[in-house]
Amino acid sequence: MFFDSDLLMSALRALTPILLAALGGAVCERAGVFNIGLEGMMLMGCFTAVATSWFTGSPWLGVLAAALAAAAYSLILAVGTVTLRGDAVVLGVAMNLLAVGLTSFLLRTIFGVQGTFDDPSLAGLPLVGGFSPLAYLAWAAVAVAALMLSRHVWGLRLRGVGEAPEAAATLGVSPARYKYAAVLVSGVLCGLAGAQLALGNVTLFSENMTAGRGWIAVVAVMLGRALPFGVLLAALLFGVAEAAGFRLQGLGLPQQATDAAPYVVTLGALFLSTAQRRRRTGRTTGVAS
Amino acid sequence: MPRRPRSSRLAAVAAGTALLATAATGCNAAAKNDDSAAAESGGKSFTLVTPDPVGQNEFLKLAVDGVKAAAKAHDGTQKVYQSSDTASQQQNVQAAVDTSPDVIVLVGFEFADVVAQQAEAHPEQQFLVIDACTTKTFKNVSCAVFREHEGVYLAGAEAGLLSKSGKVGAVDVLDTPQFRRYSDPFAAGAKEVAAKTSASTRFVGGQSPFDDSARAKEQANSLLAKGADQIMAAAAAGNYGVFEAAKAKGAYAYGVDVNQCTAAPGTVVDNVIKKTDVAVREGVEQVLAGKGGKTISYGLKEGGISLTGLEDGVESSKCVIAEHEDVLKKVEALRDRIVSGELTVDDPATK
Repeated sequence: MFFDSDLLMSALRALTPILLAALGGAVCERAGVFNIGLEGMMLMGCFTAVATSWFTGSPWLGVLAAALAAAAYSLILAVGTVTLRGDAVVLGVAMNLLAVGLTSFLLRTIFGVQGTFDDPSLAGLPLVGGFSPLAYLAWAAVAVAALMLSRHVWGLRLRGVGEAPEAAATLGVSPARYKYAAVLVSGVLCGLAGAQLALGNVTLFSENMTAGRGWIAVVAVMLGRALPFGVLLAALLFGVAEAAGFRLQGLGLPQQATDAAPYVVTLGALFLSTAQRRRRTGRTTGVAS
Repeated sequence: MPRRPRSSRLAAVAAGTALLATAATGCNAAAKNDDSAAAESGGKSFTLVTPDPVGQNEFLKLAVDGVKAAAKAHDGTQKVYQSSDTASQQQNVQAAVDTSPDVIVLVGFEFADVVAQQAEAHPEQQFLVIDACTTKTFKNVSCAVFREHEGVYLAGAEAGLLSKSGKVGAVDVLDTPQFRRYSDPFAAGAKEVAAKTSASTRFVGGQSPFDDSARAKEQANSLLAKGADQIMAAAAAGNYGVFEAAKAKGAYAYGVDVNQCTAAPGTVVDNVIKKTDVAVREGVEQVLAGKGGKTISYGLKEGGISLTGLEDGVESSKCVIAEHEDVLKKVEALRDRIVSGELTVDDPATK
């Protein structure tokens, strides 16, 4: 009874926030903006969701506010990289650091506590069929993103902007506008990811509670090659690896080994996908590998 | 030790300024005035440096109480320097050393390294470290450490008596001997009162094990899925995740360091509490009596470790244990056996 419904549920719960953030990262990647600020945007979402739910009593307003706040926060990246032509990596790292400091600071000033804000009367998201509604939204978002990127004119233009901005500009498509839109979409999705984590997975806020999930999302984007279904598979891999890791502890495997599980899986998947890609390019160009 | 997330790597915005005077002293100027007054009256002076802002942190509040009590007992003065990050911890220790009070009290493992440097540089200054110690012994550094495992053993006994499924579990931050003090004795205590109890432990781990409540919740869920109905929570910020998981399944949990029953009334049965005030007060006495440089261990016998259920005010603690007087009676008897030395609890940290 190693693989049972509890394991699956646990894996799917771990998956949801990572998937939402990774989708946002994928959209940015397609528009040619390397977004490693997912972690910070998510953390802003966590705090805003909890604060809004606490003061209004409505978790739904919390979700909405989280999406808006994270989108506003993502403007730092949009303005910094698109308008001011700054380095996306530097900005992303700065956003992640700022988010940890800012949310800790707000936690102390607004709630007067440090570390964790938790109250039995803080309203979390209701469960529908064992999952929060945002989990279903995440699944739907995968399909919508896939459809938009492959079929809709916006998606095609977005990809054009990402792959050849000059060419897109000569055809009358504004790269700046599409890049702004992509970053804002990633902000909204990361805000939802944060709301899911802070009002769905748990119902509380604690400093740095995203705990590296945004970074895992960045890796999922790379591993899934910024394809929505690829990202889904990569995120699923992490979810299953994490949930299975918990089980393996129960079977007596040391924590240090189970901790490594998601990373071993990542390395393995990277090797496999790179090997496959090299074989394929070798075939099409006729170069012997 | 799992009382709080490690002080986070704060960005410039949130990084507090180095010195924050407490409510007790009002501001630095006031503290200086107190100082000179004390020098005239010949009283003793004490400085407490905390690793985090005291705020609502009951663990640190108790330490402040301890220093105040010591100052009162010796007709002296006390100052509290609150730190907000690693840099301010070092600056605060330096500031404390500069004013050379009779005893500098430092709370937390964060100070182990900095106190070793300072103690070497200032052999005349007396230090008291609470809940940690330096790796090397110094003549001017006294330490107070806690035997958490004794309290955890009693919590385990409560779990054994209250468990209906005969399965108990624990969620720890990391798999280290120090954290195993919160899981192994829990199992031992449960088995002492109900021999057939089975126990298992999960460790949060991951990228930031002290902060990850979602991960801690899933670890608790995996214990609950295996039938555990009593869970010891020693997962720092993750404790709240453990409480949520237990509450959702109608199971019970046990907190650490301070009364955590208020976080989830009806779910948290009891807490293994560390009485830092006792350690500060008695540690200061030792140092002033010229017996510095020693490490004193506080357990059930010394009153440094206890359960919320065994202290005054259990009725208003919101702890589930308040409704189980019969269980408390048995646990009290067990405590008395440990205090008298008849029963010893294995310490995983010395294995």
